[in-house]
Amino acid sequence: MVCYRTVRPPASRPYAISTLALALIPRAVALNLALGAIVQALKLPVYLDSVGTILVAALAGPLAGALTGVLSNTVLGLLATPVLLAFIPVTVVIGVLAGVFAKLGAFRRAWSAILAGVAIGVAAALTSVPIVIGVYGGLSPTGTGVVTMALRGAFGLSMESAAKVASVATDVIDKPLSCAIVALVLARLPARITARFAKAA
Amino acid sequence: MAKLDRWNPLTPLAAALLVVAAAYVGPAPWAPGAALAVSLAAAWWAGLARRVGALAAAVAIPTFALLALTNGVLAAATRWDPSAVQDALDVALRLGAAVAALATVVSGVAPRRLTRALSARGLPGWAAYLLVASLEAAPEARERARQVLDAQRCRGFAPGKGIAGRLRAILPLAGPLVSAMVVESDERALALDARGFRAGRARTALTAVADPAPERFARRIIWLALLAVLFWGLVR
Repeated sequence: MVCYRTVRPPASRPYAISTLALALIPRAVALNLALGAIVQALKLPVYLDSVGTILVAALAGPLAGALTGVLSNTVLGLLATPVLLAFIPVTVVIGVLAGVFAKLGAFRRAWSAILAGVAIGVAAALTSVPIVIGVYGGLSPTGTGVVTMALRGAFGLSMESAAKVASVATDVIDKPLSCAIVALVLARLPARITARFAKAA
Repeated sequence: MAKLDRWNPLTPLAAALLVVAAAYVGPAPWAPGAALAVSLAAAWWAGLARRVGALAAAVAIPTFALLALTNGVLAAATRWDPSAVQDALDVALRLGAAVAALATVVSGVAPRRLTRALSARGLPGWAAYLLVASLEAAPEARERARQVLDAQRCRGFAPGKGIAGRLRAILPLAGPLVSAMVVESDERALALDARGFRAGRARTALTAVADPAPERFARRIIWLALLAVLFWGLVR
């Protein structure tokens, strides 16, 4: 008579990340870069460099979203502009918040995704202001920096207030648009794939 | 072989972090000025002066111009404020030093060598995979974006006029990119599972990155100096 001992699967740790999420994250980093190139080609006044981060957060959860954000800025920092490494906390905030909103079902409809995007945009802007002030003295050499300069010149605001208003103004346009794109794409993905992600997350 | 490749990648990385910390903690404009000079000298020695100089200038000069203009002219309103120019110079020098130091390491060290060196120091398998796969996927990304743009143009796609028209053009371009990304990830995950990839397992490198004892000792000194600079910055 042969007796077999019951083999239990290894207990999954709460912070463990699935193979599916691991495979998705590098593609999402590439997507962030590719969309940046498309936005440049279309000469649009937005960034859309967080769509990959938000999509991973929606499919695989907040931890995977935060990891995607960290990697996006690390890769861009290593390949193009090292200053982006300082903005890693902003991408972590975007990834975590998008994951939390996805768990609440915000990406099931376009309008709720846009509302989630507004909240993510405000949080990202408030996180980026101390970094912009610490690294650039308040004025980054981007469109946001020009808006800050205009606000300071027109209304005599302090550097911190002008940087805050400019960051919120630009992110409140960019992040809802990114979230709406993610919601529209999620609605069109084959159910077989979304089910695999739901099971793995 | 690049000059920085003769060293373990962690040594130039530690040195760059020390230079950045000194630029931000030390008294301006002398400390950031010296840090910028050291970084540019290192870039020149490594044969990277043109690329590193261009990157540092592209970030520092617009920042100086924006800050000097905004704080010295627009915010002062009635009279020119010379102290604003000094503040702008301090910020620009710090930024230039940080960009030059990090860009020297980034341009002079192959990312795969850096990942292997980090793996040898205990970086988990999943983190090494993510870093290498992301770095390899990045150059493909812009090419893929161009291909999608060309394919849609062949189908008669033309972005509308004005910002609203161009915004409407995003979905036909972003849609195929995002869908392809998700489907490819599914296939990549199956391939990883088939190869028995385990996230927590350490990777075995085919060629180990050399880390001689004198270099390890030098690196310890650099880490200690970095801690001392940060501590000085906190208690000052």
